[in-house]
Amino acid sequence: MMQAIKINHRIIKEALRIRKVEEKFLQLFSQGKLNGTVHTCVGQEFSAVAFAGQLKKKDFIFSNHRCHGHYIAFTGDVRGLLAELLGKASGTSGGIGSSQHLCHHNFFSNGIQGGIVPVAAGYALAGKLKNNGAIGIVFIGDGTLGEGVLYETMNILSKWEIPLLIVCENNFYAQSTPQHINLAGDIQARARAFGIRTFKGNTWEPELLMEQSAEAIAFVRDQQKPCFFQVDTYRLNAHSKGDDDRDPEDVALHRQKDYLHIFQQQSPSYYQMYEEAINQEIDAMVEEIFKESDLPIEKYFQPSTRTDDREWKTLEPVNKRQVELINTFFQEKLVSDERTVFLGEDIHSPYGGAFKVTKELSFLRPERVFTTPISEAAVVGISNGLALNGFRPITEIMFGDFMTLAMDQIINHASKFHHMFNRKVNCPVVIRTPMGGRRGYGPTHSQTLDKFLVGIDNVKTVALNTFIDPALIYRSVSSEEHPVIVIENKTDYGKKLLHTRPRNFTCQANGDPYPVVRISPAVSAPTLTLVAYGGMADMAASLLETIFSETDLLAELIIPSLISDLPLDILTESASRTGRLVVLEEGSPFGGIGGELIAGVTEKADVKIRVRRIAALPVPIPSVKSLEHLVLPEKNRIIQELKESF
Amino acid sequence: MALLQQIPVPLLAVNDTTLTVVEITRRSGEPVRKGDQLMVFETSKTTYEVVAEADGFVEFLCEVDGDYEVGAVVARIFSEAAEVATRQAPAQPGRSEQPVPPASKDIALAVWEGETLFSQAALQMMEARAIARGSFAGRDFVSARDVEALEAGLKKPATSAGNPSGDGPARRQRPVLPADPSRVIIEKLTSGKRREIEYLSEVQSTGLTSTLHTFFETRGIFGHINHSMQYLKNSLLPVICYETSRLLRKYPALNGYFTGEAVAYYREVNLGFAIDIDKGLKVLKLGAADSLSLPEIEQEIMRLSNQYLDDKLDIGDLTDITFTITDLSGEGVSFFKPLVNKMNSAILGVSSIDEQLKRCTLSVTFDHRVSEGKMVARFLSDLKGRLESYQSRFHPAVHKEITCFKCFKSLQEDLGDTGFVQCITPQGQEAYICQSCLKGF
Repeated sequence: MMQAIKINHRIIKEALRIRKVEEKFLQLFSQGKLNGTVHTCVGQEFSAVAFAGQLKKKDFIFSNHRCHGHYIAFTGDVRGLLAELLGKASGTSGGIGSSQHLCHHNFFSNGIQGGIVPVAAGYALAGKLKNNGAIGIVFIGDGTLGEGVLYETMNILSKWEIPLLIVCENNFYAQSTPQHINLAGDIQARARAFGIRTFKGNTWEPELLMEQSAEAIAFVRDQQKPCFFQVDTYRLNAHSKGDDDRDPEDVALHRQKDYLHIFQQQSPSYYQMYEEAINQEIDAMVEEIFKESDLPIEKYFQPSTRTDDREWKTLEPVNKRQVELINTFFQEKLVSDERTVFLGEDIHSPYGGAFKVTKELSFLRPERVFTTPISEAAVVGISNGLALNGFRPITEIMFGDFMTLAMDQIINHASKFHHMFNRKVNCPVVIRTPMGGRRGYGPTHSQTLDKFLVGIDNVKTVALNTFIDPALIYRSVSSEEHPVIVIENKTDYGKKLLHTRPRNFTCQANGDPYPVVRISPAVSAPTLTLVAYGGMADMAASLLETIFSETDLLAELIIPSLISDLPLDILTESASRTGRLVVLEEGSPFGGIGGELIAGVTEKADVKIRVRRIAALPVPIPSVKSLEHLVLPEKNRIIQELKESF
Repeated sequence: MALLQQIPVPLLAVNDTTLTVVEITRRSGEPVRKGDQLMVFETSKTTYEVVAEADGFVEFLCEVDGDYEVGAVVARIFSEAAEVATRQAPAQPGRSEQPVPPASKDIALAVWEGETLFSQAALQMMEARAIARGSFAGRDFVSARDVEALEAGLKKPATSAGNPSGDGPARRQRPVLPADPSRVIIEKLTSGKRREIEYLSEVQSTGLTSTLHTFFETRGIFGHINHSMQYLKNSLLPVICYETSRLLRKYPALNGYFTGEAVAYYREVNLGFAIDIDKGLKVLKLGAADSLSLPEIEQEIMRLSNQYLDDKLDIGDLTDITFTITDLSGEGVSFFKPLVNKMNSAILGVSSIDEQLKRCTLSVTFDHRVSEGKMVARFLSDLKGRLESYQSRFHPAVHKEITCFKCFKSLQEDLGDTGFVQCITPQGQEAYICQSCLKGF
């Protein structure tokens, strides 16, 4: 039986503390002492107290841009919050995150609307896998009801029975836009459509809200199922600061309804006593925090210096197809490492994924292999949440083209968590996807969009090839502490390792965690440095003899595996020797890796090097074979462009 | 059946892209033993003997007096006599059917036992020039460049006058003969002379050199210099080498060369001094001259000169020279224009001392692509100043009264370079004392 909770002065004080802290922020802001912006929840405090304040320590919260109340109610860390907004090193995120990006133990917030919902789902799923009885709450606003990823996640929450409580703080405005302009239908009906139990309450009746929230929390914990709670409330201040076009009468009306206001009217002496004590406490903290220093840049950012290994070892062919080698590694990994979780569309066996990379996995450890709905954004978001909560998710995006659907989760979440939470957390998520054409799949199933991925800070992008054992690469990937994207290639899956061995060339690889392959003339000195990666590597190797025969250029082919941080020393040495550098790309050239690679080599080289990019034509890849052949870099065009260039 | 050793033309001096075979001491097909001398190369500066590194049967792919590019294989040793026999007589430079491996500096000297792949361009050239595929046995790839290199390696243009396309960068002219050739005696150039022409052409042929002259006063200079010299009394060369090498640190542009598109600055100062005493003109190297003391420079000059006279110079004594000094002071020359060597950017010429005017001319020819007149003028002025500082520093008239109170030696007579010390005599008088009396002999 639920214990009835009566509203008491502790609750009032908690809400009042939140209000006073936020009023302090507004005051500091108007004095020019806050950098950036704040979104206050003045008027909504009882939602924070009712939900965040009634969780257990092992539980977690994901919040949004309007997160101060949730933070204080859950963590009690007023000082960390004040220091954070004042930009000090002792702030909860070291001053990096400020108002919208807080992290303290199991509390996280992010300024992207809706993006935290699948992350919270993943975090909750991790708790369920650990069977530790922890549950979580994710706070959204009614404005977030416009985000699609919310519905992708609600579908999965319900289907997978993930213990997460979604609290929708319905303050009737999305920034400045009244709800009736943007919101169709009913709020609770949205959740009910997914079979999720819903509650409804409001902040004007805090005693009732406390009871309802306790019931919802207990439901999620006991049933290990999601729940959706609509809290009607009203924000008494602007969305941020000064951007308020609401009817002043309406605001004034709600100010009268505000429970803290009523308490002030009814018990002025108590109110005054509490207010003074809280203000005193806040002022003392602020005074002290002002004396502190900011985070030094060295603590935030250390440039990484890449040194390439120079021990070259000769590669031997392996009589196994690439897809078998990946699959074998995954099977072993899944069994040997309990943190490994696989997610992806259609990955359950016997189907085993569109390209059979995940074959047998769900037979081996069904509890850690999730075949997902067609919801790339939510699936990658859930993977992020699993990674934040100690797991090592390996997530498949069925076709590389679909990576765009998950980009928000990669760029605004996985990539940023570590730094924006001042290095308190790591997000070692692995996202793997096949790219490449030559299968006739047409414009949306053939593109190589590596160039959109290699520029994401703190995310490594690796391209497999048919020369290095993929198990070696995935072993390195598994030991990374930060996100990794692995690009596989559809046409390489069926090839055996080193099946292309050009005559009179030697195939070697260095000892980097992501080895660099070098295919050089056996004896003679090369006169051209050719770079290819991913699916182009095999093709480039098969062309070496023809290139020599037809262009008189004797190429040294260099194949990087890690394409987000190129082996520039090796490339520069080779290109300086040969004086010619050509990059083959399966994507179109503008803004691509070829441009980046050539710029990097040119910065390092002491000699003049003649360069060329040979890439796909800048149009969607046609399905019809004859045209697909012409759009992607193929033999005749490569030979012709080489002849034109040198 | 095995190829035991390939003998390529060695890289002996950075400046020599080709070497001349001056002697072949065995015949193709002969059995040889490890350590046997096989042939002798001549560089512009020295000779180099090649010995067998394995027991076997030698095959020569070159002839005496032929010029071959560095890296070209000129001889091989096989385990079986039969292997040599199948390979016919040695190559005739200029013809191409014979199996002469080509020359290219980039080629690693390893042997490829697999098949040889030819580029289409190479095949076309080979067809046009009737070069057989077998000419490239032991190669992994053959490009058009390799075919060109083979041709260049096979040719012997210096000995066949009139062939303008030749080996290396030397720009050879068509021979100019009088209408009646009997009126002249034509003598073949020695390979040394040919290389001299080649080396001096490299910088001079651009026409972008200039020469500046200055003189420095030599009055009283030897009194001081000879004091430091053990053998080379009355010679300016050691002290000029000493001062120049130090000064070159300040003028790196004179210690470098023009690469064709950039300027290369040598990290070391390896001073060369030209010598020509009956054994032909050679430039000998004072390695890291800027770190040698004056006595060390003298000793090194003596050592190198003796080696030169005894024909015992090492290749290292002749290579990697970064700046040259040519001293014609013994020849009664009043001034002259020295010529800049290949891969140098300047040269210093030392003329004879004019005994009447008590002065000596210094001349610097420099590559204008690397430095310019004003810089060289400053260099000369600095050098002049340094050399003149060896003069007795004090004018006799002024310092006559400075004498050692103990030995009565005057400052003018003193040959040390420290000077005298002011002191108080036991009698309480202010006086001077020389270093010898102060420290004891």
